[in-house]
Amino acid sequence: MAAMLISPGLLFLAVISYYPILDTVWTSLHQGSVLPTRSETWVGLENYQTVIDDDSFWNAFKVSMIYTFVSVPIEMVLGLGLAILINRNFRGRYVALGAILFPWALPTIINAEIFAWLFHGQYGVINDILVRIGILDETFSFLAKPDAALYSMLFVTIWKTTSFVALILLAGLQSIPSDLYEAAKIDGASKIRRFWHVTLPLLKPVILVALIFRTLPAFQVFGLPYGLTDGGPGESTTTLVLWAHRETFNSLNFSEGAAAANLITIMALIICLIYVVVLYEPEVR
Amino acid sequence: MSVRTRLQELREGKSRQFGETVGFYFLIVLLCLVSFFPVLWILRTALMPPADVVQFPVTYIPESPTLQNFQDAFDQQPLGRYLFNSLVVASGTAVLCVVLGSMMGYALARLEFRFKLPILMLILVSAMLPFFGRLIPLFELALEYNFLNSYLGLIIPYTAFQLPFAVWIFQAYFKELPDSLEEAGRIDGLTHLGVLFRIILPVSAPAMATTAVIVFIFAWNEFLFALTFMSEQKMYTVTVGIALYGGQFQNPWGTIMAAVFMAIVPLILLLVLFQTKIIEGLTEGIGK
Repeated sequence: MAAMLISPGLLFLAVISYYPILDTVWTSLHQGSVLPTRSETWVGLENYQTVIDDDSFWNAFKVSMIYTFVSVPIEMVLGLGLAILINRNFRGRYVALGAILFPWALPTIINAEIFAWLFHGQYGVINDILVRIGILDETFSFLAKPDAALYSMLFVTIWKTTSFVALILLAGLQSIPSDLYEAAKIDGASKIRRFWHVTLPLLKPVILVALIFRTLPAFQVFGLPYGLTDGGPGESTTTLVLWAHRETFNSLNFSEGAAAANLITIMALIICLIYVVVLYEPEVR
Repeated sequence: MSVRTRLQELREGKSRQFGETVGFYFLIVLLCLVSFFPVLWILRTALMPPADVVQFPVTYIPESPTLQNFQDAFDQQPLGRYLFNSLVVASGTAVLCVVLGSMMGYALARLEFRFKLPILMLILVSAMLPFFGRLIPLFELALEYNFLNSYLGLIIPYTAFQLPFAVWIFQAYFKELPDSLEEAGRIDGLTHLGVLFRIILPVSAPAMATTAVIVFIFAWNEFLFALTFMSEQKMYTVTVGIALYGGQFQNPWGTIMAAVFMAIVPLILLLVLFQTKIIEGLTEGIGK
């Protein structure tokens, strides 16, 4: 009975989730197979060597690292602030929650198109606002300058995903029993002390969840640079997955693509492992 | 304490409270402005005649609003077809996730069987597997079995991607149901499967709605697999259609924004109708 209920779903996961991971390992260890023929020649780590020797790979690595480790901490801080702000009853809460959910629900690629228009170098409204209030003297091509393009991309992702962090942290805040705050209040703890000594420690496991849920997608971002800047100018916003996708599907060299995919997977795992080691404390409560 | 100072204190307290309320609502309004501004800007751009769109300084309110861009969006590209494709793929994924997720969730929450914990781990870990690491072999499989440019070619992987989430929601929901429900069914002579379909599923509408809505949004929004698997224009989902719209430097922004607006209307509707469900679903199990 249980087997009957479980097996269809397990079959899906086996074929779509686990088999591909193993197959990617196999492909990456064999000589450059160009579809539809698969090569059977074992080459060991040669494909990995080719990827590691490629300067563009390291450039993409740098872009992805900056993208992840600048955006995620900012999202955490802003998300926590937002969660604390709306963790109460007030008129208009429904609208505020809608404002938080909306950026989450937008497709990343369409969000990228929207912001490509907002940031437009000639007719963009962001340029218009900055010129009107006097921050800029004339229009600025945000997406045509390497550094500015990267900062713009960070801005867009922070705009979109802070809300998700806020939702997760809000759920965490709501699970903290209010008598703990009452007790701290009676002991004369100030608001700031209550935050540091009650809220943050109890929120730690939820923060860990939010960190992992945000870091994994951030490290594998594809749609945002694809739609916003197409990885440019030059390769200044080409992230790891965007680079690997191009390498794989432009040349159809699936072996190198597979090696790159595995390197990305391993890096993502290492980052998560570091989080867990640093932040996980069994039985916090 | 004299009456006067007490009064003064009260007044000060009140004005401080008032100040806090003003500050609070200022932040809430700021939040709404920052979040909703892009939608307003999409609409504003979509409603403008093309010549007005490319002006600087920009006009904030369309002076002569027109639906021309919407007309163009549907005429110049098969936007209707893109929307239909997305609808089929997203609905198919949602249905499949509800069916498979409720079955697995039921077994994990209410039945005893061997290897329960390893299976649960297998399901949850699969949620963390990177997408790009699975793209290449799945592309090869799809090529081999003629699943490229077909709805199932996207529905099947999307279902696998969202299944862990669906299982998570259903098992949490089923755990909370009272045992008496099942017992009543067993007394009436129903099998386990009968209990699931006749008794449990009919009272599971909340979990189904949560799962279906969130899975639908995910499938509607997905881009990496849709771009890679759908190479024929008539099979593009709406995310792919919009991403490949026009050339890179002479983009018809009014038309694109009209298409973008059409692509996000279903999402806005779902948010308005199911806000509470979506929030519950995204945060299920957090802080427990």
